[in-house]
Amino acid sequence: MHGTPQKSRPKSSPRRPKTSPGAPPTPESATPRRSLRRISCISEPKSPQTPIPRVAKSLATDRLETPRSARKSRKSLLCSEKTPSKAPTFSPVTPNPPESKKRKRSETGESKPRASRTPKGRVYYKKVVYDGGEFEVGDDVYVKRREGAESDDEDPEVEACRICFQSGRLVMIECDDCLGGFHLKCLKPRLKKIPEGEWICRFCEARKMGKEVELPKPPEGKKLSRTAKEKLLSSDLWAARIESFWKEPDGIYWMKCRWYMIPEETVVGRQPHNLRRELYRTNDFSDVEMESVLRHCYVMSPKDFREADNEGDDVFYCEYEYDVHWHNFKRITDIDNDDEDGEEAGNDEEWKFPEDLHGDIDENSEYEEHKTIDYSAQKNRTHELAANSHKGRIFGLQRIGIKKIPEHVRSHKQTDLEKAKATLLLATLPKSLPCRNKEMEEIAAFIKGAICDDQCLGRCLYIHGVPGTGKTMSVLAVMRNLRSEVDAGTIRPYCFVDINGLKLSSPENIYRVIYETLSSRRVGWKKALHYLNERFSDGTKVGKEENKPCVLLIDELDLLLTRNQSVLYNILDWPTKPHSKLIVIGISNTMDLPEKLLPRISSRMGIQRLCFGPYNYQQLQEIISSRLRGLEAFEEQAIEFASRKVAAMSGDARRALEICRRAAELADYRLKQMSQSKQSSFPVDTSKGKHLVGMTDVEAAIQEVFQAPHIRIMKNCSKLSKVMLVAMVHELYRSGLGEITFERLATTVHSLCSSNGEVLPGWDTLLKIGCKLGESRIILCEEGTKHRLQKLQLNFPSDDVAFALKDCSEVPWLSKYL
Amino acid sequence: MRRKPLCFPPSARSLSQRIRGDAMTVAEKAQALLRRRLCSPTFAHAAFKSSPESNYSKLRFLISSSIAEACNNSVLLLGPRGSGKIAVVELVLEDLKAEHPDAISVIRLNGLLHSDDNCALKEIARQLCVEHQLLFSKMASSDDNSQFVMDMLRECGLAHKTIIVILDEFDLFTQGKQRLLYSLLDAMQTLISQAVVIGVSCRLDADQLLEKRIRSRFSHRKLLFVPPSKEDVQRLLECLLHLPKDSSFPSKYVTEFNRRLSNILSDKKFKEVLDSLLDVDGSVSNLLRLLFRAVSYMDMESGLLSLENFKSAYLCTYRQPKIDNLEDASILELYILVCMNRLETKEQNSYNFNSIMKEYKAIHDAYKTSDNYANNVCLRAFEHLLEQELIGFTDSKGRTPSIEFHPVKLLISSRELYQGLTSNSSCPAILQKLFDHESYK
Repeated sequence: MHGTPQKSRPKSSPRRPKTSPGAPPTPESATPRRSLRRISCISEPKSPQTPIPRVAKSLATDRLETPRSARKSRKSLLCSEKTPSKAPTFSPVTPNPPESKKRKRSETGESKPRASRTPKGRVYYKKVVYDGGEFEVGDDVYVKRREGAESDDEDPEVEACRICFQSGRLVMIECDDCLGGFHLKCLKPRLKKIPEGEWICRFCEARKMGKEVELPKPPEGKKLSRTAKEKLLSSDLWAARIESFWKEPDGIYWMKCRWYMIPEETVVGRQPHNLRRELYRTNDFSDVEMESVLRHCYVMSPKDFREADNEGDDVFYCEYEYDVHWHNFKRITDIDNDDEDGEEAGNDEEWKFPEDLHGDIDENSEYEEHKTIDYSAQKNRTHELAANSHKGRIFGLQRIGIKKIPEHVRSHKQTDLEKAKATLLLATLPKSLPCRNKEMEEIAAFIKGAICDDQCLGRCLYIHGVPGTGKTMSVLAVMRNLRSEVDAGTIRPYCFVDINGLKLSSPENIYRVIYETLSSRRVGWKKALHYLNERFSDGTKVGKEENKPCVLLIDELDLLLTRNQSVLYNILDWPTKPHSKLIVIGISNTMDLPEKLLPRISSRMGIQRLCFGPYNYQQLQEIISSRLRGLEAFEEQAIEFASRKVAAMSGDARRALEICRRAAELADYRLKQMSQSKQSSFPVDTSKGKHLVGMTDVEAAIQEVFQAPHIRIMKNCSKLSKVMLVAMVHELYRSGLGEITFERLATTVHSLCSSNGEVLPGWDTLLKIGCKLGESRIILCEEGTKHRLQKLQLNFPSDDVAFALKDCSEVPWLSKYL
Repeated sequence: MRRKPLCFPPSARSLSQRIRGDAMTVAEKAQALLRRRLCSPTFAHAAFKSSPESNYSKLRFLISSSIAEACNNSVLLLGPRGSGKIAVVELVLEDLKAEHPDAISVIRLNGLLHSDDNCALKEIARQLCVEHQLLFSKMASSDDNSQFVMDMLRECGLAHKTIIVILDEFDLFTQGKQRLLYSLLDAMQTLISQAVVIGVSCRLDADQLLEKRIRSRFSHRKLLFVPPSKEDVQRLLECLLHLPKDSSFPSKYVTEFNRRLSNILSDKKFKEVLDSLLDVDGSVSNLLRLLFRAVSYMDMESGLLSLENFKSAYLCTYRQPKIDNLEDASILELYILVCMNRLETKEQNSYNFNSIMKEYKAIHDAYKTSDNYANNVCLRAFEHLLEQELIGFTDSKGRTPSIEFHPVKLLISSRELYQGLTSNSSCPAILQKLFDHESYK
């Protein structure tokens, strides 16, 4: 490991060829501008006095695609191409901070110097008080972008009214279009209070109508000073998220930050659906001196943004991440902020950036190294970089993002029905999990008991229940709660391994997966078994993690059955070992799985069991209506009907949710068709009652789910097929047997046809028809090469045939034989 | 006369002309247009696009709403073969791809090829890689592949891209442990993904084949494909065969063609032909097959369709292969068949070549026919019958080296045999008498 920054920087120089246009098969991987920004970041001289990061920034303004700055950018681009090495000359003014600001650097109590661990003299902090502001890792800040801008000194916290140009304490309203502020009293007509929903000022309104608008001029001598927000949105300032801080040996404070971008700076430019206050998070990092940080701003997720109404001017909205290499967008998931799913997101977390660096330099340089390898490997080792192999995945996936955020996603106003559909999705995790409190308490008690117990001997829980009764969901919810308790420090930390039996390619692979999650190394399963045996039986440590208790959740446990059941035995045997600290939770459908196993296994597993019974209709109803709370989409009886029906059939919550979603879909389809057909004739008349999902929709959905479609097929099949089916029912009834040979059937068809004056079909035709019916499994038949010896039998009860064909208009005489 | 290259036979003249593109007559052009329509898998189904009850609009709504609302869905398309399941899917995808460019990636799997889970996962990974211009490695393990597929599902979901997985012959994916279906459907309910799984099957009980935990994860949307009704067939015929007014054809020809066509379509005899075709199999593909034949029979002189074309086309589709075989059978073969039939009516359930020969000799002795052949000649005829599958071994297993001793069975019924004997021109009278004698007494 290379310790000093002096070393690590040359090390990262291979990055340069990567970004240069010559290298990889990236689409337009590096425009000179971007690479310049990057390179200049990297090749910054050792004396931190020179304001390189800022130069880099002024170069990076070239990226602007807006016409406003096009001229300027072209000029600077030219220069930059000519003299990339002279980059520092660009900023004529060294950024001497305004003398007025008093300098105060103090380390707060929470900062934890790690000087002992980092030999090169960098000191990392989690929290820094700088220039009077307190900054923390993960905060969003404004960063200065351009030097010498005349109005940079004044930084008005409160913006002035666009009409009277006074700032004052009065209530102001913000236009949703131009973001200008207006005093309520200055407006014509005056507003008493802030209106609900969107509000657009009259200037923008007029502009939209196509009129020329003359904005009120500021009074003589008073310039309209711009707030930081305005400067940011006109790309005179930058916003960034702080990833880490450190102090160089010479006492200068630096930070690593992740840039935000305004829509104008992306390749596609501002799109009509972009909000005024929208920013994109990029995957572009650089090191910046703390000097250039201005103050805090707040970049929020859509949910927080909606709630943050009165939080001041520096609030921004960020829903997407922008990839600067590939120029594409991706939604930001909650997973990023949610540590609990860290292991799932682990593999692309690695690519992005360790979100919480905790000021650990080891991790930092490891990352650097990793990245270097990735890029150099790109040329020679194609297999490793193939996206579907383990190594390449990190590299390939950031390419997936969409080039342009589709408009329908953003500007679409959801109706209640569509919202209902979204909440009924199986994938949406509900806020609360009703009806499984008892079981969840039991699981929590079991795990807590096992963890807190010093020995935790032989802890094994078997959970069973029919599909869709919330087994896995409950366990995962309990684990989430426990995780927060660990964070709060009330219980000991543990590690959690989650395995699904059906997702393993073979039962033995489970060793490999367990070992990989425990130690993050990949080995073959035999070796993994060996290591795991060592760890659990003998108590040797695996990897660097301390001897934490380990909770192993195995979903679909019955899939681990091998012929000699050794996999299950091994896994269930470990908890009985004194040093193992292993807790196994097995989930499966069958109640008597332990009894079906060898006695030595069932004695280890069958002791503690938990049964998830099927939901009854009240529970189902509660589950559905808890999801639909606050939405006016379903009639009350409709929900009850659906839940009663499902409870009677299976008690499967998934099924109930799907039926309701399907019903909502059907209602939505009906409404949309109606509005389409009505649009032509007269304006849509949407009365309130028609928007609700009613009994008929639920009924239709239930029909679709539970009823086999054979009756409709029988009703619609060709005439000869009908005759054949009837002949079959007739003959089977007469003989009392279950099956019939083709010869008999054909003679019966012939006699039926001749006695009713129909054309006699040829035998080969009949054979073809029989095979067609057999294909759709209305009848079961042997292969057609047996010809007259072929045996046929009905796949559905003969009553169904009678029901389907009784009053058939095409061949009325059929009913005689039923 | 122009010199032609020697390698073209005279009959290929029109072909060579067509290649040069100079002398394609109006009739040829019309025929080509009609054939193109009939061969295109989607043209026939595009006729039903507009109606809200059609499967097209239902499926389109389903997929487009899951694109617009960023949700997962799974749907089964059920219906007999030839009812246009895949064609409708293709139509919908074509439309949606035009509507949302760059946001849809389609994965196509076929149960006949990819019923093995590992192979299917690999194929999905490969197609995803091709779609997104990523490097694909053949050597990746199945764990890697499945991990990759899950990652892609999530990433595409984050990027508002929809992955549509079409599983043709869905019933074949339900063999084995159904790991592929489980991991797909489970991913769809746990990840933030945006995927639609479309299962296509001709088995009506396809969803019953799923294991219960997979069935619970499957969202049971089903679209049923039934053969078109009589009115729909009429509409379809008009839409398929009418020449367009605004085309390169001379307008006189177009009006004449269309007038003749409407005459045919409303003709009673044509309706009879159509009915007898649809009585057997009412699917769209069957109809298209008939029409293609009819168009190929079109009279190139006048360039107009006639009722005769449809009739002869119908006769081509309406074939009885076994009767045809019997018509061409040799006398000795007929003797063997009649002997077998006699043995069966004597309720002798198991017999082989030697017992047939005994019967043959007995007939010969009794009636003193002129058709007496040596044993090895009879064996040749016997083998020929076996090849034609008019007769067959009772059990295909345990085949002994000599076929003389292998028990055999007659595969045609006595009624068919009777029909064959009467239609065979060279059938000796004695044989018919023999047959009549025993079956109708």
